[in-house]
Amino acid sequence: MAEIRAEIAANVWQVRTEVGKAVAEGDEICILESMKMEIPVVTEVPGIVRELFVEPDQVIQEGDLIAIIDES
Amino acid sequence: MTETNSTSGGDMHDWGPLVSDLAARRERALGLGGEKFVERQRSLGKLTVRERLDLLLDPGTWVEYGMLADHMDAALSDRYLAADGAVTGVGEIDGRRVAVAAYDFTVMAGSMGAVGENKIRRLRHLSLSQRIPMVWLLDSAGARIQATSGSTFAGAGDLFREQVAMSGVVPMVAAMLGHCAAGTAYIPALADFVPMVKGTSSMALAGRHLVKAAVGEDVTEEEMGGSGVHTKISGVADLEVADDAECLRIVREYLSFFPQHNQERPPIRACADPVDRRVEEIYDIVPTAPRRAYDVRKVIRAVVDDGDFFAMKPEWAKNIVTGFARIGGEPVGIVANQPMVLGGALDVNAADKAARFVWLCDAFGISLVFLHDVPGFIVGSAVEKQGIIRHGAKMLFAVSEATVPKISVVMRKSYGAGYFVMNGLAYEADYIVSWPTAEIAVMGPDGAVNIIHRKTLDAVPEEERAQKRLELAEEIRANIDPYIAAGHAQLDDVIDPAETRHAIWRGLQIARDKRVDRPWRKHGVIPV
Repeated sequence: MAEIRAEIAANVWQVRTEVGKAVAEGDEICILESMKMEIPVVTEVPGIVRELFVEPDQVIQEGDLIAIIDES
Repeated sequence: MTETNSTSGGDMHDWGPLVSDLAARRERALGLGGEKFVERQRSLGKLTVRERLDLLLDPGTWVEYGMLADHMDAALSDRYLAADGAVTGVGEIDGRRVAVAAYDFTVMAGSMGAVGENKIRRLRHLSLSQRIPMVWLLDSAGARIQATSGSTFAGAGDLFREQVAMSGVVPMVAAMLGHCAAGTAYIPALADFVPMVKGTSSMALAGRHLVKAAVGEDVTEEEMGGSGVHTKISGVADLEVADDAECLRIVREYLSFFPQHNQERPPIRACADPVDRRVEEIYDIVPTAPRRAYDVRKVIRAVVDDGDFFAMKPEWAKNIVTGFARIGGEPVGIVANQPMVLGGALDVNAADKAARFVWLCDAFGISLVFLHDVPGFIVGSAVEKQGIIRHGAKMLFAVSEATVPKISVVMRKSYGAGYFVMNGLAYEADYIVSWPTAEIAVMGPDGAVNIIHRKTLDAVPEEERAQKRLELAEEIRANIDPYIAAGHAQLDDVIDPAETRHAIWRGLQIARDKRVDRPWRKHGVIPV
């Protein structure tokens, strides 16, 4: 199980996956918007998305949980 | 007439026993800590100290100092400790001399004995007086507590002070090839470059037994100070490598960018890659849309000689990329924002990483190339609590202090203090150019609009506010244009991205004999 957390306070702009979907290492989970940039959040492990904690336009803080991936 | 020994009456040329005694002593030293411990070293996937030296150095160049040393400690009675656990000497890497101190874990866990440390002291002095780099191969449990547990410790510590005196005079490399604690963890802390072997090396101020006793924490050496911790989280080490052989190859490669000392120029290598090669790959790598991310490492590899880039701390503070490459055969240090991570915005670790790298390059006369794509320093309460102001000031300090040739290419955004610390015009940039996509300003239009037009926006009905904000931001954006900066001659040129390699090379040629005189001072008061 791998937790993906926000590395920066940001607005969630797009969510790029859904619960139950298979993801490969480097796949985008969501795209944040902060510091005038679109910041892709990628998974560093392959697996299945178990939970997603964000939706578009949500404001998140540094360290907030974005997703949990069941590692495969 | 036959000569006879006047005192014993024996043969006066009886060298045989003497020479074979010497050979036997040397043989014994080459046996290291004995078969059992050598076997154990191998079973851990580690090479022996002598195998490491063979891989590090050019064949046949090793001149050993103190091979016949032993502990000479009455408390250890008649135990034999080969070379007292520290193999020292001078060899060559690519035909250039280097002083090497290699701890031998097969001899009392590579612990630091009095004789072994005297040998290494001699090497430090030799490194400094000969002005040749010093390399430590560290595989040592730290102080030999059996020998130093009393208050004679009060006289110890010269090793660190001397390393501080060597810093910036000769290159210093500390290769982590085993579990190192306390004393042997501070050696890398004071060295310039620290590669770590994955799985078999660690560094920590105390080993796990002491940690358990002192603070009650039950951790492995790996969890506490393994390569994963130090190359990804703490930033103490520079590179994680797969095994001993890769580690030693990396040390050779690292030193190839460096002069022997701070008053020599970095070595120029013959280069077949044309300096005016057009880098049209950039058109595909970099989006013109300013908010879209891309991997700046691809830009670096496209621009430098033969695509060779030697990254420093690649897994830590990934929002800034630092490392060595060559342009036209000349070593350069590259500092580049990484839009892929945190949008390229600078945080405390990025500032820390860049400042140290700039100081390293400046100390050894290695020219700096800055590739800008930075939305600025991250703002907010989280980073303020981390001390972003002093860390940001540290990077500003390092870049301001650096007197080596400094070239800047503004690729896209370069906002606020981010522009300054990336070597803006005012930071004695010797040649600063931009791509047509450059945006240089105190802040981006999306942020500026809320400050400049706050009252206007407040007066607009809420449902129209978002649209109005966009319109006003576009007005501001119109003033953020590289041709305005170029019109004021605040950029030396606007270039086609494909001309980036050639532009950097030309800048380096212009600044080749740069000389900056500053008012005398003992040293600045450095923000850390």
